[in-house]
Amino acid sequence: MRELVTLQVGSFANFVGSHFWNFQDELLGLAEDPNSDPVFKNQSLNMDVLYRSGETHQGTVTYTPRLVSVDLQGSLGSMSTRGTLYDENSSASSNIYTWGGNVTTQVAEPHKKNLFLQSLYEEEQVNLLTLGNGVNAGGKSCRGEIHDSDKVESLENGVQYWTDFSKVHYHPQSLYELSGLWVDPQKFDNYGIGRESLSAGLQGEEVSERLRFFVEECDHIQGFQFIVDDSGGFSPLAVDVLESIADEYTNAPVLLYAVRGPGSSMDPRSQKQRVSRKLHDAVSFSKLSSLCKLIVPVGLPSLSTSKASRFLSINDKKPYHCSAAYAATLHSISLPFRMEPLGPTADSSYASGAVTISEVVQILAGQARQNMVAILDAAMPSPSLTGNWVGQNLTGNLQPLTPEIAEDVEDLQSLESMIVHGALGSGGHRASISEVKDTVHAAYEHGITRPMFCHLSVAQCPLPIPLPFPSIFGNLVGQHGELLSTPIVGSPSRGSLDIHSIPMAARLRSSSAILPFLENRLGSLRSCGIARGAPGAELVRNWGFAKDELEDMGEMLSKMIATLGLRSEMSSDSD
Amino acid sequence: MSIRVLNPNAEVLNKSAALHMNINAAKGLQDVLKTNLGPKGTIKMLVGGAGDIKLSKDGNTLLKEMQIQNPTAIMIARTAVAQDDISGDGTTSTVLFIGELMKQSERYIDEGMHPRVLVDGFEIAKRATLQFLEKFKTPVVMGDEPDKEILKMVARTTLRTKLYEALADQLTDIVVNSVLCIRKPEEPIDLFMVEIMHMRHKFDVDTRLVEGLVLDHGSRHPDMKRRAENCFILTSNVSLEYDKSEVNSGFFYSNAEQREAMVLAERRQVDERVKKIIDLKNKVCSGNDNNFVVINQKGIDPPSLDLLARAGIIALRRAKRRNMERLVLACGGEAVNSVDDLTPDCLGWAGLVYEHVLGEEKYTFVENVKNPHSCTILIKGPNDHTIAQIKDAVRDGLRAVKNTVEDEAVILGAGAFEVAARQYLVNEVKKTVKGRAQLGVEAFADALLVVPKTLAENSGLDTQDVIIALTGEHDQGNVVGLNHNTGEPLDPQMEGIFDNYSVKRQIINSGPVIASQLLLVDEVIRAGRNMRKPT
Repeated sequence: MRELVTLQVGSFANFVGSHFWNFQDELLGLAEDPNSDPVFKNQSLNMDVLYRSGETHQGTVTYTPRLVSVDLQGSLGSMSTRGTLYDENSSASSNIYTWGGNVTTQVAEPHKKNLFLQSLYEEEQVNLLTLGNGVNAGGKSCRGEIHDSDKVESLENGVQYWTDFSKVHYHPQSLYELSGLWVDPQKFDNYGIGRESLSAGLQGEEVSERLRFFVEECDHIQGFQFIVDDSGGFSPLAVDVLESIADEYTNAPVLLYAVRGPGSSMDPRSQKQRVSRKLHDAVSFSKLSSLCKLIVPVGLPSLSTSKASRFLSINDKKPYHCSAAYAATLHSISLPFRMEPLGPTADSSYASGAVTISEVVQILAGQARQNMVAILDAAMPSPSLTGNWVGQNLTGNLQPLTPEIAEDVEDLQSLESMIVHGALGSGGHRASISEVKDTVHAAYEHGITRPMFCHLSVAQCPLPIPLPFPSIFGNLVGQHGELLSTPIVGSPSRGSLDIHSIPMAARLRSSSAILPFLENRLGSLRSCGIARGAPGAELVRNWGFAKDELEDMGEMLSKMIATLGLRSEMSSDSD
Repeated sequence: MSIRVLNPNAEVLNKSAALHMNINAAKGLQDVLKTNLGPKGTIKMLVGGAGDIKLSKDGNTLLKEMQIQNPTAIMIARTAVAQDDISGDGTTSTVLFIGELMKQSERYIDEGMHPRVLVDGFEIAKRATLQFLEKFKTPVVMGDEPDKEILKMVARTTLRTKLYEALADQLTDIVVNSVLCIRKPEEPIDLFMVEIMHMRHKFDVDTRLVEGLVLDHGSRHPDMKRRAENCFILTSNVSLEYDKSEVNSGFFYSNAEQREAMVLAERRQVDERVKKIIDLKNKVCSGNDNNFVVINQKGIDPPSLDLLARAGIIALRRAKRRNMERLVLACGGEAVNSVDDLTPDCLGWAGLVYEHVLGEEKYTFVENVKNPHSCTILIKGPNDHTIAQIKDAVRDGLRAVKNTVEDEAVILGAGAFEVAARQYLVNEVKKTVKGRAQLGVEAFADALLVVPKTLAENSGLDTQDVIIALTGEHDQGNVVGLNHNTGEPLDPQMEGIFDNYSVKRQIINSGPVIASQLLLVDEVIRAGRNMRKPT
């Protein structure tokens, strides 16, 4: 087994992460549930890759994500930083052992748990009671019964923190809040302010310390899955942490998702803010990319109107909605990392195509072009294998979640790593692994554009839709994620109550389609930061960057562009 | 007002309003922290929205917990926190002093005085006070064997403001001994060489000094010993795990056998490294019953652990980077980055190594070392906030002792310095100043009294009585401080109440600078604030 350690830095990253862990929790639950679909019983996935087993002081066994999450103070809502598993009786803890004098207590108004969290809490209490008394707890639970539809509705209308829809227990080392920043969260929006607030470096050290706790336990770490909200002041912290990872765990690769919420790409009103935003994007991207093995920018400015949400109905204003779509894709990408490798010839009938992070990095960024910026594509839900899967439509269904990329680029040197899971075959039954493989290969055979290399992973297990998943499916999606030919009348958007699971396809792609993304960043770095009399020259100086540092960044970006641009030109010449 | 022409949405506060905004912010912050000061201060318990408890009496910690939004308050808070970063203490005093300077100035400004004149007076008073501080300080000769008593007194003074007396006194010895342990002649003291480790323990509040090191992890192999005596310690930074190096990452093998061969070859390299360590162990441990412990900064994978365990070696992986340094200082030897030329000289020594398990947490104690230059303060507490509070106090205590050693001086505490400096300013400096700047000097002098006043207030005493009693004694030439139990003057020298010289100097230095800046603000502009609001 090769363990993965996950990091989530920044508020939107935690929204994505919260959904991500909900999926994992759902998978764990379904595997044990005797009434669930048999496809969830044999997942051929090793959850230990993402989770750790532990034990509380009382000797209770725990199973928690191997995760370090960082967010601003107060962003955890009603969840305690220590989680609930390891909590000891809190009545005794309010005694003060260290001071004999006066005490003043300031109690913040407790955050109200929403209906969903309340019902989770009650369920747990009931479980405890049944464990304690053995019998006769059923009567009590009826009283507090909350209807699922009410919970879903309360989530739809009232998600404020990422903890509001989380059903996962976290380890006390996992959740870390940054305190003492003294900035308005709204203004924590650029590299400079983040760097300034973190200048003492203690926060970075604390995060590395917690990371070490999880890494020390790993017998054989395969790498880090790092989700960072790079739209604001969290980038410098992420850079700090990445630096310490590079130092301490030299051989463990980092797969970095730079995610952005919908609000962060809103056009700022004043010129000054526009310059600051552009410079931030450029600086943050070049800093982050220089410290990881593979960076995947995720987050469209308007997800709801993009092609990726053809079958979805997303409200762009809600991070709760957008993060769900991104998290589902990240979940799919992470599946091959946890498949049990069986050897080159023997394939399980449930999953095939296991890779590790370093292998994915090798596939996408290690060969000829060494392009380490990958594009994330998703088909959510992926259509069934009959009919329109064949031919052009395969690529037509996988739509990018990476912003600012070129469409319809013919790149003969592109490299891909694809995962299809839970695909439905003809007649609504699950397609077998080999069926999926054949179809995809056939699709590429017939396709006009074909990547130079494509690694395919297939799993039978679809994406389960947990209760707290938002209602973001359009009315063409059926109960098992099949695409209907006629819309369901009545409800414009469907959620976890109507849809139990969906098939997914996702892909990481290294292609010259990323060029506009890189060029935009290089362009704004040059025009706003480096050029003579640039409007942001003063600003970046305040952020603590000397001119030659900026020039180094520019050079790095133009090198990235050159490797992509040049090669593709050369190859097209030779044709 | 010209800003209005440029940006009609800008909010402008005119001169007096701007000034009062600053003064009110400073006073507000002062009010919040005022009750903390001194051994009779109030401890604050903050309960968050999710029920998380924070417990603190430390100005620095409290400031960081507060979500301050007012720009003036942020400026003061930053100064105070910087004070803590530099000198390790005095956060509360800085905030109080700035607040009091603003409060005193307010009186004069309301009477129509220009802030510039006050600021000039502050500058004169500041310089004079710093000179006075030089005269007033009590030199301490450090030499090779520092005077332990005086260090203890300084540490006790700090600790008693953070913890109840018995606990503070217990910690005093620990703190002083640990600083003396890591102190090396002719080198600055690096407090990071004191590891502060904590354990959650249900009913126990206890702190002890471990001469040696406590690591927060244990060996990861069931067959390794949990306790060993007479150990050689190998401190290393060598990867003992098989990781596919990138170049050979398994993609372009033409067949499975080739891949297997490659894997085996790489595995062998790791095994070789392990073998070299085992060879060294056999060399130094053969014929005696000594043990061998490897503490590695990099990973050790299960096959390597197996090999080591079979050879009777205890191995810990992924040690903290700082612990590598500490280990060498505590046990001797050197940290090795390669196993190629291992010699017995690289090894350190510890009389006892044992593991302690609490739930899923493991601790490894490396004790009974020879001549340590690094040590661990082990804090036990029933819950996180208690531990955090003791940790804060320990850190302050360590800083106070370090400052004393480095300053080679201390200042009489319990408010004695503040009263003395005030008398000096009023009786001597003020006369030498011409014109209205005198009033600035006076405001400064009165502001100094905030420390004894607050001490008195927190002890439930009448501030006027106390100040009169204290200044009376000082006028007669007796340097006295406040006895917070009786309200009577006391001799801080006799009672052993000493503060840090560098802390005081820093407060005197930075307080007036910030206060002056705030006083000289005559317009506050919030450009385009309204534009951000959604319409």
